[in-house]
Parts: sequence; C-alpha cells; structure tokens
Amino acid sequence: MTIKVSKKSYLFGRGWQRWTPLFLLLPGFGLYLVMAVGPSVATAVYSFTDATGIKGAPVNWIGFDNYDEFLFRGLASRDNIAALQRTLIFSVLVTTIQFGLGLLLALLLNQKLKGRTFFRTLFFMPVILGVAIQGLMWKLLLLPNGGPIAEMFGWFGVRSEFLGGQPKEAFLWVIVVQIWANVGITMVIFLAGMQTIPEDLYEAASIDGADGWNLFKSITWPQLTPAINTNFLLNIIGSLQAWQLFLVLTGYKNGTQVLGYLVFAEGFGQTSGSFTTAFRQGFAAAASIVLFFLVLVLGLAANRLVNRRERKYLG
Amino acid sequence: MKFHGGVRTLRKNGKLFITLLVVLGLFFTACGSSDSTDTTAGTSDTTAGSSNTTAGSSNTTMGTDTSEPVTLRVLAHANPPAQAWQEAFNAKFQEKYPNVTVDVSVVASGDLSVVTQTRLSANDIDVIDIPGFSNPVADYMSGATPPNWQTLIDAGLLLDLTDQPFVQNYDAATIADAMSYNDKIYQVNGGRVSYSGMFVNKDLLAAASLAIPTTWSELVSVCDTVKAAGNECMTVGGADGWPVFVGSYGLLGSFYPDQAGLVEGLWTGAVKWDDAKTAELWNRYYVYATDMLEPGVTSYSHDADPARYAAGDVAFMPTGVWQAPALEAAEPGFDWTYVPFPGSDNASDNQYLFGKYDQGWAINANSPNQQAALDYLAFFSDPANFQEWINAVGFLPTQPGVTLDTKLGGEVAPYLENYRVGFEQYWVQPTGAGQWANGSQGAAWFAPFNEWTDPAALSKQSQADLQAGLDAG
Amino acid sequence: MSTPIIPSADLRSPDLGSARSITSTTRRTKLGSYVILLTFAVVYMGPLFVLLTVSMKSLPEFFKNPLGLPAGLNFENFVDAWKLANFPTYMLNSAIYASVATAIFVATSILVAFPIARGYFKGSKGMLTLYVVALFLPPALIPQFQLILNLGMYNTRPGYILLFLVNPIGMIILVNYIKSIPRELDESAAVDGCGYFRFVFRVILPLIRPAVATVTVLHAIGIWNELILPTIYLTNDNYYPITRGLIVFEGVYGSNWPALSAAVLMLMIPMLILYMFLQRYIISGLTAGSVKG
Repeated sequence: MTIKVSKKSYLFGRGWQRWTPLFLLLPGFGLYLVMAVGPSVATAVYSFTDATGIKGAPVNWIGFDNYDEFLFRGLASRDNIAALQRTLIFSVLVTTIQFGLGLLLALLLNQKLKGRTFFRTLFFMPVILGVAIQGLMWKLLLLPNGGPIAEMFGWFGVRSEFLGGQPKEAFLWVIVVQIWANVGITMVIFLAGMQTIPEDLYEAASIDGADGWNLFKSITWPQLTPAINTNFLLNIIGSLQAWQLFLVLTGYKNGTQVLGYLVFAEGFGQTSGSFTTAFRQGFAAAASIVLFFLVLVLGLAANRLVNRRERKYLG
Repeated sequence: MKFHGGVRTLRKNGKLFITLLVVLGLFFTACGSSDSTDTTAGTSDTTAGSSNTTAGSSNTTMGTDTSEPVTLRVLAHANPPAQAWQEAFNAKFQEKYPNVTVDVSVVASGDLSVVTQTRLSANDIDVIDIPGFSNPVADYMSGATPPNWQTLIDAGLLLDLTDQPFVQNYDAATIADAMSYNDKIYQVNGGRVSYSGMFVNKDLLAAASLAIPTTWSELVSVCDTVKAAGNECMTVGGADGWPVFVGSYGLLGSFYPDQAGLVEGLWTGAVKWDDAKTAELWNRYYVYATDMLEPGVTSYSHDADPARYAAGDVAFMPTGVWQAPALEAAEPGFDWTYVPFPGSDNASDNQYLFGKYDQGWAINANSPNQQAALDYLAFFSDPANFQEWINAVGFLPTQPGVTLDTKLGGEVAPYLENYRVGFEQYWVQPTGAGQWANGSQGAAWFAPFNEWTDPAALSKQSQADLQAGLDAG
Repeated sequence: MSTPIIPSADLRSPDLGSARSITSTTRRTKLGSYVILLTFAVVYMGPLFVLLTVSMKSLPEFFKNPLGLPAGLNFENFVDAWKLANFPTYMLNSAIYASVATAIFVATSILVAFPIARGYFKGSKGMLTLYVVALFLPPALIPQFQLILNLGMYNTRPGYILLFLVNPIGMIILVNYIKSIPRELDESAAVDGCGYFRFVFRVILPLIRPAVATVTVLHAIGIWNELILPTIYLTNDNYYPITRGLIVFEGVYGSNWPALSAAVLMLMIPMLILYMFLQRYIISGLTAGSVKG
C-alpha cells in the first residue's frame, strides 16, 4: 500500500514538514496493526496447526483438520454447532430486547418528569459496576435456597434451580442479567438522539392533529435513525462476543456453552473437578474463525439493514 | 455511525487488503508459532537478561552461599489449610537458606492449568503445583489428545528429578503411579485423596437405631427411614457441579473395581455405557441424584457444604476426604466417619476407596533458580516436614513411616489397603466424542443439575456420544 | 447519502438539555410512565438492598433467615473482607489500567483519525476500511498471548495496558465526527502558518470534544469491565484489577455470602460515589458523539 501525503489537499508546512501527519499517525496505526490486525490474521494461520501454546511443544500443519473436527467430527460437532446456535440466540434475544427496553425507557425519561436524573443514573449504574459485581449480585439473587427470586417463585408454588439446574433456564437467566446490565447504555444513546430532534417538528405535526403513536411513527422513529443504527450495531457486535457473564454465572456447563467461552476453554484448558482438558490452541483458533464468520455475516446483514433505513429516512 | 463507506472501499481495494493481511499474518506467525527456534532464543534472552539471578543460582550450586539473594517463585492452588502450612514451612526454609526468599502465588484451583501454562511459557515460575501423573495416553487410545502434563513433559518444561536422593523418600506405588512418566521422575507427590466415599453422621443414625449401610439396598432403606423422620439423606456442593460426581464415582467404583480395565474396556468396546450391567448403574445414578440428595443442593457450593452438613439433620455427605478439616472446623462436636459409597448389592464390592494423587510439586526445567528449587523439594520431602504437611492438609500419606494422625486417618485406615486410583485419572476422551461421553459423571446430568430425567435414554446417549468419538478416531 | 449534520448535545449542559415533551403530556400518561419507571427502579434497587441486608448477617443467621432484615447493624463482615483481600490495590490497578490505556488510546487515535477523515494521504480510505473490518474480527486471544509472551511483557502492568491501546469502534466514531468539521478550517489555519500538530490539538480537539468524550467513556468502561484478559495475562495478585480480584475472592470464600456481599458492597461504594460525581460527564460523554455521523 502506498501511503503518501497527498499533494493536492494537504496544506500544512513544506519540505520534510509535510511528512508530519504520517509520523504522528505511526504510533496509533502501528499499535493497531501489531495488537489487533496481526494477531487476528495470525489466528487464521494458527487454525491450520495443532499448536498447544505450550512452549517447546511441536507445532504441525494439519490443514483443515481443526475445522473438520469442529464442524463434522463425531458428536462433538453436534455440541459445537449447538454452541454456535446458542451464540446466535443469545445475540438475537439480547439485541432485540435490550433495544426495545432501552427505547421504552428513553421515551419515558424524555418527558418532563420529576426524578428523571435519578432514574437515568440508576438504570446506567450496572455498567459502572462491571461484570464481576453484576454477576455476583445475581448469583446471590438467584440462590435456589433462600434467594429472593426463589422466594417470589415460591409464592406461586414454582421451584427452580436457576443457574445450577436446567441448562436452558440457566441460559435464559444469563440473558436477563446481560440485558439488565447493559440496557443503560442503549437508553442513554437513545436519549441523546431524542434531544437532537427539533421541537418544531412535533409542534407542526400536532397542529395537523397527530397524536402520540403517529408522532412517534412519523417523527421520532425516522429522526432517531443515527441513534438506532448506533445501538443496533453496538448491540449485535457486543452480544455476539460477550460471554464473560457465563464465566461468572454458570461456569463451563453442558448445555450453556457459547462460542466465545468454548474458544477460551479449548485454548487455555478447562478444569472440572479433577479433570483437566488439554490446551488445544490450534483448535480454539479454528473455533474463533468460525465465530468471526458468524459476526461478519450478521454484521454485514445488519449493516445493509441500517443503510436501507438511512436511505429511506434521510435520503 | 456509517459502515457502508468502508465496506464499499473494501470491495474496491479488496486485493490490496488480502495481500496486506496475508503478509501480516505470515509476519505474526513467524514470531508466534515457529516456537522451536524463536522461543528458545527468547528463553536464552530472558536468562541472559536477568543475569543477576543466573549468577545467583550458579552460586547456590556451590553450597550455601548466602551472598546472592534468590527469589524462589512457587505456584500453588487455593486450599486454606495448605496455605497456612506453607507460610510456616517457608519461614523454616528461609531460616535454613537465608539467601532465598519464597514468593508463593496462590490461584483458584480452576485457574491452575491456565496459570501453569502461561507462567511456564513465560519462564516466570520455579516450582509448580501439579496433580499426580496417572493417565498418559495409552496404546489403545488412537487419536486422543494427550493430557496437559504429558505435553508439558514432552516439551521439556519439567525438570527430571530421577537422580535426586529425596525422591526415594516416597513409597514405590506413589513413585510408579504418580511421579513417573516414561521411567523418569518429574514430581514429588504430597499425598493421596479419595473422592469416592461419603461422610456418615453417626449421631443421626444412632438416634434412629440405624446401622451404617454397606450395600445399595441398605442405603436405600436408610435413606427412606431418615427422610420419613423429617431429616435429609444426603447433601453435596451442588452449586459447583463437580461435587455431584463423587456419588457417581462411588457407584462406578463398586460396579467396576478395576477402573483401569474399565477405561480400556470402554475404548475397546468390551464395556458399553448402555450394556445390561451398566444400565443398572444409570438407574442408581438417577436415584442418587434425584432421590437421595436433598432438595436445593444447587444452592450450596463445595466449600459451604460442610457447614450445611454440620447442621446435623443430614445423614450422609458424599465428598472427598479433604473436607474432613472443614467439617471439624464447622462443628467440632460432630461425630462422623468416612466410608466407601455402598453402590453394589454385594458388600465385598463396596470396600474400595478410589481417588487420585493430589497436589505434587515439580520444577520448571528452565528455571534460573534450579538449585533453590531442588532444595525446596528436598526440604519438603524431609519426613519430619512431610509429616507436618500431612497433618495440615489431611491427605493420605505417600511416604512410608508418615501417618495421618487425625480422626480421618483413623476412620479410613481399614480401607487404605484397598485404595485405588480412580476412573478420572485413567480416562482420556476420544476426539470427536460428544459432551455426554464421560459416563462417570453421569449423576450430574440428571435433574436438578441438568436436563435428563430418563436413565435408560441417558445411558444410550452416553454410549452414542462415546461411540462417535471412537468411530471418528 | 449524505449524513445530516445534527447539532450535538452541548457538553456544558450535561443534563441532556431541557426536558422536551413528545406531546403535551397528559396526567394519565405521566402516571403510567411513573408506574413503569418505578417498576424498573425496583429491579435496579432491589439487588442493592439485598446485598446490604445479607452483608450485615452472620453466616448461621444467613442460613436460617436469608431474606429477613438483619438482627442489627453488624459490620464484622466488612472488617473480615477488608482483611482477607487486597481491595484497595485492585481498585488502584483498575483505575491505572483504565486511565492510562484510555489516555494513550485517545491521543494516538486522534492523530490517526484526523488525517484519515481528511484523506490527507493516499490509502486513507483503505485504512478506514481496515478499521471497519476489525469491528468483526474475533478476539485474537491466542496469537496475542504469544506476542505478549515473546515481548517479555506477560504478567506486567505495561503488558496488560498494551492490550487496550486499540479500539476500532472508537476510531470510527472519531473519523465520522471529524468529517463533520468543515475543511475550510484546515485551509485557513495552514495559510496562517499554524503547524499541523498544534492545529490538531489546539483547534480540532476542542471541536471534536463530544466525540472524544464518547470514545473515552466507551473505552474506559470496556477496560473496567474486562474479566478474561486479566485471567490470562495477570498472575500476580498485586496486579489484579477489581474484576479479577473479586472473582478470585469468590473462588476462595464463595460459600460465605455475607462476607462476599460485604466485599461487593465495599467495592461498589467508592465506585458509586465517584459515579455520582462524574455521571453527568459520563452520560453526556457517551451520548454526545456517538449518535452522529
């Protein structure tokens, strides 16, 4: 790639000074290449080896064997594909629900209400506390014996093991916690978008006799396009790669694994009781490349959707 | 935020990108995966870089030169009694070797393998905490991934201790089963534990005039009686998942006392998880998980469970012997014993305790402080010090002449000659096997811990998951 | 497909502007709004309340009566938790990692984003594309780990900080925002003889402050929340950030919910106080730049 200061448009300084922007750009871009792009590409290379990550252990090229194993071999492939599906379900549910709730809260808090600042601060709070505290709080809330939520379920005669029981149920609770923890960001971004909508648009429409829902449909929603796009993409990409809550809440348990956790467990060994698995970093790399394609496909699809909306509403 | 601009240019500049990415990728793997050359250079670099420490260790080789300070970096997994012992032990060690400062890093047991790998790779540790070696990949296991410790030794990361005099302090069985690989010794092992038995609440049984059950049917009827009287039959640390395995290891052991043979049988097809004999095993897993364990066990973590059990209204607690100190701490007056899990209808099958060689110590082969590390292991292996270690952690001793002088030692003494290495220490999962293939953990897959409710269906699924791996290999 | 220039929220009035009603709010919709908001408030306050009551109970008291109010004000658990773990160190570490890494990231990124946004050199479009693609790249745990090892920066604070010096989302936000700043500024500054570096930091930086604030907040929150990387890269207790320290604490004392609740509260209280003071900046920072472009 020829990176050269463009003669026509760049006006600062003369002689060697004209190279200043390139020099100044180097630290940032260099870090980016070394810390992000390089390792990501190397992941693809690793995925064709049987690397263990243990220093001194031999590394061999094994072609597509890791991919073959991940997608097709025995019944482990069934579990891997289930993890893939779970990652998708997690992402879709978290994105849509968090999007909806965030929008609802933002609409409510965009009114002249007493305590607006208090509510906004409160709903954003978990973001500040971080994933470890979020997780531990909910572990306590979800204790099957004596936890407050178990108690409430008890009023209706329902008994549940929550995080320690049925994997499907544990999975749903992780989704709940994920949304609880992050809806604040979505809400705040929507609020900011609403602040930028000119008041007179509403006034004009009101004179024409439009009421709440119509106003939302014809003004708020289209005008909110940039905030919608931001939230949509942040949520999709974020939720596809988020799995730290699984680590805190359920651990590596049959029936709750998502792809990100699987990569970590295979690459760095996962201990369950007295049983320690091997480090399979080549295999883990292959799994993360599969995750990459998933994110790419969904991300590009979302991107198309966003562009269509932008064309439709903003021309 | 707009992405389309970028995506459009991607199409235009596509070739350029791919070229750039490939070049970058090759560059990275050049410094990443061609370990054999690059990292060796890295290692020698580190050693050269810390020339002070290198000099220090060569000095200590000559004897007890106290001029060069050495910091001995030791990795241990979290176990409060062991940490308390180690603090005192280190003080004694530093008194004897005043130039050495011991720096212990304690990590949660779940993180031990990650931290071991990373710190060995970074050459940032001298002495590591490692479980006993038991399960190298056997000849009949085609295509299986070797366990971690085997890869570590094959990669030359652990120091060969074969010629060190202190290894002879250990008994022959331990040296063979836990300390050696390919006829060389790579660790000293600090003790056996059993993970297939259960604690018995003697007061509760006595109050109901019940005898300690020695067969499965006796266990079932004791549980019925206990529950009819308003007490609970069993508790385990269900929140952590794996403590539930203890009961299934016990059941599995009484069905197949030859655990090494069982592993071979499963690999070769001589035993199947769903054959007639084993089908009954799954029924008992089911009874154990759903009937015998008290409701709500998923609330209790492994660490909390002794305190729960000490409340006194539960008859049995299937768990490892290592929980005896916690139980005594929770309620000193509690009268208990520890017996093998009575999983068979034939009492003579229920006399074995299965377990593993627990915590051992090994030395980083590239450590610049090798002499200090060897001194540390020698000091640990000294019988007097070893006795104190055993007293502190309550492991079953691996040195002849050292005895477990606690209540636990007395209670398990009758079973010690029937001690056997358990299934998990032999088992290596075939590549491609599904997540239900390791049937020794089967009890933890039934409700309330996981989704299964039908023992017959689960036994079939378990065999299918295993078979898929065997066929793929 | 031009992006409309939307006036950004003014940073100096961080209360997100004056309230603006969607329609003349009737009493009924107001009441409904309060009902919904209060329900949510319970879901957010409830956990805090539970933590507080549990932290004041002894362990046997907790087993007997997990939900009721504690027998009295009992701060023993706090004292115990304080003694058992290194919480002040963890908090300091988290603060160091978040602030140092964010500062370096923002400073270097502005210098990348500005010439890219202006197209000041050939290939700048391609570079932007590279950042867009990176949004989707998998977290490259394994090669990154080998890289840090080979650099000899494993289990060091600088090595850990190194992991957080790039963030493609942040870069894209900056580039898009800078595009909305008129080019004529550059031209007149150059004609006046203003140096490039001075121009970027004296003229452009104040103009893109909303976007910088957004990027700063998003990036710092990411570091503050990170749990996986410290597990892989930090083994020394003295280097742990809060997340890792707390999970390790849970691993060792996890059964003791009263002590654990006390530990969680102790970590939360300074964060919450700090948040009360900074929340107007954090929230306005998060919103000001992100919606634009």
